[in-house]
Amino acid sequence: MLNQGERPKNLYEGFREKLTAMAGECSRVRRAEDIAAFLIPFFRENKIRTVGLAESPLTRAGGLRERLQGAGIKVTTDNIRQAAPGVEAGITQLKWGIAELGTLVQIGTNVDQRLLSMLPPLHVALAQTSELVPTVAEALRLIHSLPEIPGFVGFITGPSRTADIERVLTIGVHGPGRFLALLVDEDVREGE
Amino acid sequence: MADQEFKGKIEQALDNSTLRGALGRFGEFYEKAREQVYEGYDFQALRDQVAEVKSYAASHLDEMLDQFERAATARGAKVFRAETGEDANRYISELALKHKVKSIVKSKSMASEEIHLNDALAAKGMDVQETDLGEWILQLCHQTPSHMVMPALHMTKEQVADVFTDHLGRINDPDIASLVKTARSELRSKFLEADMGISGANMAIAETGTLMVVTNEGNARLTATLPRIHVFLVGVEKMVPKFEDAGCILQTLPRNATAQAITSYVTMVTGPTPVYMPDGSVRDKELHIVLMDNGRRKMYADDKFKKTFQCIRCASCLNVCPAYQLVGGHVYGHIYTGGIGTILTAFLNEEKFAENPQNLCLQCGKCAEICPGRLDIPEMILELRTRFAQKKGLPFTQKFALDIVANRRLFHSLLRVASLAQKPLTKGQPVIRHLPMFLSGLTEKRSLPAIAPVPFRDIFKSIPQNIKDVKGTAAFYAGCLVDFVYPKIGEGVIAALNDKGYKVVFPEGQSCCGAPAVYMGDKPNAKKSAMLNIEALKAEGVDYVVSACPTCTHALKDSYPALLSGDPAWEERAAVLSRKALDFSKLLADLGGLPEGGDGLPLKVTYHDSCHLKRKMGVYREPRAHLSRTAGIELVEMYESDHCCGFAGSYSIKFPEISAPILEKKIKNIEATGADVVAVDCPGCLMQISGGLDQARSPIKVKHTAEILLEKRHRQKNQKLS
Repeated sequence: MLNQGERPKNLYEGFREKLTAMAGECSRVRRAEDIAAFLIPFFRENKIRTVGLAESPLTRAGGLRERLQGAGIKVTTDNIRQAAPGVEAGITQLKWGIAELGTLVQIGTNVDQRLLSMLPPLHVALAQTSELVPTVAEALRLIHSLPEIPGFVGFITGPSRTADIERVLTIGVHGPGRFLALLVDEDVREGE
Repeated sequence: MADQEFKGKIEQALDNSTLRGALGRFGEFYEKAREQVYEGYDFQALRDQVAEVKSYAASHLDEMLDQFERAATARGAKVFRAETGEDANRYISELALKHKVKSIVKSKSMASEEIHLNDALAAKGMDVQETDLGEWILQLCHQTPSHMVMPALHMTKEQVADVFTDHLGRINDPDIASLVKTARSELRSKFLEADMGISGANMAIAETGTLMVVTNEGNARLTATLPRIHVFLVGVEKMVPKFEDAGCILQTLPRNATAQAITSYVTMVTGPTPVYMPDGSVRDKELHIVLMDNGRRKMYADDKFKKTFQCIRCASCLNVCPAYQLVGGHVYGHIYTGGIGTILTAFLNEEKFAENPQNLCLQCGKCAEICPGRLDIPEMILELRTRFAQKKGLPFTQKFALDIVANRRLFHSLLRVASLAQKPLTKGQPVIRHLPMFLSGLTEKRSLPAIAPVPFRDIFKSIPQNIKDVKGTAAFYAGCLVDFVYPKIGEGVIAALNDKGYKVVFPEGQSCCGAPAVYMGDKPNAKKSAMLNIEALKAEGVDYVVSACPTCTHALKDSYPALLSGDPAWEERAAVLSRKALDFSKLLADLGGLPEGGDGLPLKVTYHDSCHLKRKMGVYREPRAHLSRTAGIELVEMYESDHCCGFAGSYSIKFPEISAPILEKKIKNIEATGADVVAVDCPGCLMQISGGLDQARSPIKVKHTAEILLEKRHRQKNQKLS
């Protein structure tokens, strides 16, 4: 029923193109264990030594906490309210991706997950490539098809931005100044 | 009529080069960027959905509010219905007192500014912090927003740096990135300390009790996540029936507001979520939702203003408004600015505060063309204008002039006298710089054409109409400018229609179409003109009524039926005229257009779209086609060809200071094409643009399409004949 743009042939390519146009960063790995393999050099390159992590199916399946710690990165998983404002990056798993906009959909009922997506200067958002949907309409239908609408749902498309001074686009006002979407091809379900 | 104080504010705004620069740059950027961001999307279909979704919610308001309240309450929110702004202020203040709130963070809420919520809370000793960067800057320097989406659009980085320096007691450099960084760290500590968050919402979903907030900065997310109490202040017009209905608004709001496909964030809150309490425990927060009326139902109950409930507050009507682009938001006087702001101010603040700003509307219709909610803002502003005129009457000079115009014999004999009286002033030139009597205001900052020595009505009888095979008859409605200033346009109309096999008649009793009265809000004189012309034109007896002035055509087609609706003696006749009335270029196209032809002599022509022809009648391809099919003409497009020329009838008399810069821009765009001639379909635009070109000492000529066709095609015929 909703009007929508042309459906991108390849959901991932469409998603990446739209997200990078909104100053977001986007990468893709095959397996959950590749997340750490991608992030460790990425953090090293960006001199990031402390991260806050909201555990999720993908992080557990990929052994992310242990692997990051093994690489010498300080990983905080509890006491997030105290820790989140101080860490250099927050890692969370988000639910769906909307290809037509380059948007990730956050089910943010968990307050720690939410704080880690908002307070640190870098937000690393993990999601499953298989959870990409073509349109906003589709995403709204999926959210509505849950047993109840989650208390907090966020659409995130790139870093926090403002143009309130002289209409000049400036990145990173209240939220993260950098946003990295890392899509994982392997399907990981809780309990597996 | 605008008062002196208002005129003073306009002058100040026009003198503010910072403001002019910022507004100008944004205006230039916006229109193109918006178009690009809609690529691949069907805007018309999307706005149909928005209008449908919003109008459904509005027409079922009580049902929507009840449903919303039930759904939100079921999820654990507390819903309060506020009849007035005071009710909302009281509820929120008492809530804050009850919970011993000391510090409050706010994400953007125009509704809270409408009711001065910050003052109410500050009076109870609470620290209230705006967190939207623009709003925070304005809070620090005690200003009001100059734009609904970009509140500090009028300020430079230097001014912002000074504001920060004063507030923080340390020097801030005018570097935008570091100013934003400062704001981040200052406000971050406020977020972490705050006991209460207050937000506005873009949508309230009745079906699910969900509130949706569309933002870029991320402050709404923090407001919804950190404080232990969260209050949403929501106007009742924000209702949307179903969850999936949000889709069309999410697709249009960011695109129309800031030309973004989507904002960085969309936040959807349904019931309370867990939050960290000061003692470190995690519990569900308190979520309060204040559904506020404060004049909104009254606005909906007024038939002419119902559609304001379809507004999604994107402020795109400001972004494309030629007057707003020059003067900015502060001259509107209240927090709601621009076209929609004028209407909201009238209902949500006080009617009298809209009296001055409503004058700023040129009636160009550009905002209606792009409005995602399908609001006809110019029509609503005209309605306000008419009501003010009915209530308070028009100033004597205006009333006097309109009374004369409505009296055909008097008006026409005055025009004939003027034609003679101006002689000493024309000095042999085709333009005059002074006009006698009540028209004198017209000559400021531009040249005006001389009144023709012989009006068209006298020339008409001597025009031979040789038609081999007569297909029908068209009555020509000349309008004042063709009749008394530009009779040659009339000759062009007749020649073209004769070519198509139509005989043209000129009903003698016709007079001014009444548009000046309509646009000044003088309904009685407008009605008088409507009846006089319906009687004179006798549309029942001809196949078409043709006019070469889109403003006149619009009057015949749309204004007369509206003015005379419900009047049994006139309604049917007005409907007949409305059906048969067509503008010249449109009729010519409907009759199959002109065959390829023309003198073949090279002529570079650029086309200026008149507001009424393009936006009231949807005609813009037709005149271009007529010109392109004329041998010798090379048609080149000018930049922003459909932007108003600034004439807008009496507007150029009321606000020469605004009309002049609009015209200047038009002249620049015309000159940049390198054209020999500007083609127009409206004699009003013709008068305005030729005045501007004359003042700029440009060799470019302005001609009506009918006039160009006559010259290019009939010269050839004459040559053939000889």
